[in-house]
Amino acid sequence: MKVSKSIYLFFIPGAILYAIFFLYPALSAFYYSVTNWDGISPSYAFVGFENYVRAFTGDSIFMKAIGNNLKFLLFVVVFQTIVALVFAMILRKNSKINVFWRALFFFPTILSSVSVAFVWSFIYDPNLGLLNAGLEAVGLGQLQQGWLGDESAAIFALAFTQVWFHAGQMLIIFVAGLHAIPNDLYEVANIEGATRWQTFRKVTWPLLAPSATIVIAYTTIQSFKAFDLVFAMTRGGPNYSTEIIATYIYEVGFRSYSFGYASAISVIFMAIIALITFLQFKALRSGRVNY
Amino acid sequence: MKSRLRKYIGSFGLISMLTVAGCAGSGSSGGETASSGDTTTGEDVTQISFIHWRGEDVDAFEKIISDFESANQSVQVEMNTYPSEQYQSNAQQMLRSGSVGDVFAVFPGSQFEIMKKAGLMADLTEEAFVSNFEETPIEVGQVDGKQYALPYQMVFNMPVYNKDLIEAAGFDEIPQSWEGFLAMAKALDEKGIAPIAIPAADIGVGQFMNSMVMNNSEDGIFEKLGAGEASLTDEWWVKTLTQIKELLDLGYFQDNPLGTQQDAAMALVARGEAAMLATGSYHMSSLKELNPELSLDLLAPITVSEDQKRYDGIHTATFMLAVNENSEKKEAAKAFIDYLSQPEVASYYANETGQHLTVKDVTYEDESLQNTAYWLSEKETRFQPRYMITNAQVEKAVLSSIENVLGGASPEEAAAEAQKIVEENLQ
Repeated sequence: MKVSKSIYLFFIPGAILYAIFFLYPALSAFYYSVTNWDGISPSYAFVGFENYVRAFTGDSIFMKAIGNNLKFLLFVVVFQTIVALVFAMILRKNSKINVFWRALFFFPTILSSVSVAFVWSFIYDPNLGLLNAGLEAVGLGQLQQGWLGDESAAIFALAFTQVWFHAGQMLIIFVAGLHAIPNDLYEVANIEGATRWQTFRKVTWPLLAPSATIVIAYTTIQSFKAFDLVFAMTRGGPNYSTEIIATYIYEVGFRSYSFGYASAISVIFMAIIALITFLQFKALRSGRVNY
Repeated sequence: MKSRLRKYIGSFGLISMLTVAGCAGSGSSGGETASSGDTTTGEDVTQISFIHWRGEDVDAFEKIISDFESANQSVQVEMNTYPSEQYQSNAQQMLRSGSVGDVFAVFPGSQFEIMKKAGLMADLTEEAFVSNFEETPIEVGQVDGKQYALPYQMVFNMPVYNKDLIEAAGFDEIPQSWEGFLAMAKALDEKGIAPIAIPAADIGVGQFMNSMVMNNSEDGIFEKLGAGEASLTDEWWVKTLTQIKELLDLGYFQDNPLGTQQDAAMALVARGEAAMLATGSYHMSSLKELNPELSLDLLAPITVSEDQKRYDGIHTATFMLAVNENSEKKEAAKAFIDYLSQPEVASYYANETGQHLTVKDVTYEDESLQNTAYWLSEKETRFQPRYMITNAQVEKAVLSSIENVLGGASPEEAAAEAQKIVEENLQ
């Protein structure tokens, strides 16, 4: 079929919007990353790759932020994927009660991140919070902690909140993926005498790979961008134990007025996300099967 | 192969754009914009924009603005407030265009420095209303003898205490030495009262450090730190951290200080479960709202012996009023500041908001303000040392070393870690 060249005209509005809202900011970020601009002054100087060298050789907090981000990412990706998958398996059938439970799981995702942060800060409060009070009430008082005030626990407390906030979205993706798997395959597995675990391993999981790819990639990007929750709940503290790359970019750019350096960290950040997402896609694609 | 490569490049490009768009933004934009007035509204009426971070003062300012507009019918004021954290980060970007913030508030310290450097503040030196302010407190708004901003509020950034509890513990006078302070804390602790409630999860560390360092260090120590002429591993800071650790180890802070936010700490003091709130005078009216029976005053822990004491407490001249250098309505903006600096207007603001002010001849009618007004005239106070740290990353390193100690690290170790970060940021 011959397509008229005029069809390309329809791409123009999209291309213009893409250039304004994505291409220009991205190129600007790279441009400013090789300057010493403070973000306010009309003048600045080009400093080459000095900002990049500083990030890798002279900034221990940036390195700590990368480490914190990876801890956060690992916890959220593993925990959120498992939670969403388990509940999707339980709630896969379209009964009324399952639809109700799915809606309930999805509910947190419609809340604003600031209100989620506020509520969970209160839950984690060591003196007045519900979590410590609940642990005490069920005889687990020895597990009580300062949660957000404990350097070793704070990043995981934040990650748990992130899971609570977003697991519902992932559950819906998995439910949709489960519905796409033909029932015939389960019937065959049943006739062959496969156990539940074998059915999951040989039928469900391989055919859920496309959904899992989306869930894991989306969760990864979300975890790297978890600025709002972290900023509202701990601002990177105590003692940098919850400082992640996104909050550090904000600190450097908008509180220390080192916009050039913040832009360099943003570009590095982008490269890290791209690399991890690429590796995930590659790993998950290799596990896909078609029956 | 080529097609796969194109896909990878395409994916990388898309993720790049999304990430950078989300994280860096464009240099030419930034910050929340506030709607501002046109040059005129109606006949010969100039509308000016007033931006600040004191959301709790909006009612008082609305009344003041209404009265100002009645007295100056050619000027209208549109006020916008922003959360303080957002204001501290974004005000500069908003002010650059000159269309917002003809009159604006500025924090002392790093924000004042960056605004001065960017040329955002008009020189007010020759304005007659400058003489309406006390001379010494407004020095913080001066650079090279020129007045760029006028601090409006006088805040005491030191613990607020429950007078009844301290008296019940056997102390009619506030201790004037470290030994005396520890003895008072011990007496309170033995009565089952937490001596100090510190909201270290948010503002507490930044406030408490001022009292703790005020007699342990010479004036200008943080300027020296910023110039690389002093170190956090020196005796003045290690001693400060050691004393904070001593308070922690003796159990003189409430449980889990690093997990405690200011509302929880205030609740402890309001309920009589803690004797001191390690924040500042600005919390006195809120505490009285929580418990009107409280009898409150201010104290700073004296960290040295009585004969070595130089300061009784900490003050900050803050909420600095400035006129935007890029504004086309400077005269109207100055008229508004002139109005705010009139004693009767300032008195209304002070009593409505529970703040001491830097304006001369203010009459304090509020009970808490009256009871603590002696700090303005009778006490020797040091300007908040934290505001002398002009690099935000250095400030964060200093505060983090306290958090590190509250988390269990040794003072020496915490000081060394923080000094490393300071040096990285001063290169």
